[in-house]
Amino acid sequence: MAMDFLSKNGAQDDPVEAPATRMPASAPELEPGAPTDLELMHAIQKEDPEALSLLYDRYNGILKALILRVIHNEAEADDLLQEIFMEIWNQAKNFSAQKGKPLGWMVTLARRRAIDGLRKKQAYARAGERLQTETEQQPDAWVHNATEEEITFSDTRILVRRVINTLPVAQQQAINLAFFRGMSQREIAANTNTPLGTVKTRLELGLKKIYDGLKELRDEL
Amino acid sequence: MSFEEFQNQARLYVIGALEAEEAEAFELARKQFGQRAEDYIAQCYSMHEAFALSLRPAKSSDALKERLMAMVRNRQTS
Repeated sequence: MAMDFLSKNGAQDDPVEAPATRMPASAPELEPGAPTDLELMHAIQKEDPEALSLLYDRYNGILKALILRVIHNEAEADDLLQEIFMEIWNQAKNFSAQKGKPLGWMVTLARRRAIDGLRKKQAYARAGERLQTETEQQPDAWVHNATEEEITFSDTRILVRRVINTLPVAQQQAINLAFFRGMSQREIAANTNTPLGTVKTRLELGLKKIYDGLKELRDEL
Repeated sequence: MSFEEFQNQARLYVIGALEAEEAEAFELARKQFGQRAEDYIAQCYSMHEAFALSLRPAKSSDALKERLMAMVRNRQTS
């Protein structure tokens, strides 16, 4: 079974090339003189709308992709994206650089909101059925002509996917269901007809490999 | 719980995959390991970024951004 992390062609979709000299799992390379994410967050904390505008331009595509992966509805994803950026504006004072990077904070916030939305609709009850059909029918439904933002992110995406693609498919599936569907281990076990202990092992092994893989990439660069 | 076991649980914790019975033991260990535990959990959250960055960015309409910025500016003036 092809996994949700992957596109319709699975692990072979993206070219596997030598990694570019760019930090994986980090913000895109910025133009000279462009404010960093942290500088933008500090400006948002001082209620500077232009900073939010810049942060939106930088990350709306990534956050919308994340939301779409969870709720699979374009109109609802747009509504949620707007709500999330309003929450970023309203909650910026709660962001602390000591606890992580701005992108991590935004992704955590967006994921939580998207999963909350999914649960409200009770749509997650059909997740197992969707999982079987979506990779065949609309694995990359939001694929569009490459934009400047997409090109900027593409090297990072390839590097991150290289790490994820090293995992056995069953581990990718378990992590996908937990992260993008917000499923508990028991829900994953029920949805995949897999013993609970096996699900736990798959999650633990898969997450360790991803964590170690990302750390290794950072250390190399 | 050893620190290695805590690390395993922390990786599950950050993606919300700990079961209720595991969460209790995890929180106890978290207190036991203190700042070392908090630092490790913070590192684990980098996986959130990685999962998001593994996706192909999706296009949003210009109107969406205009609505957002109008809401922000309205809130500032009100």
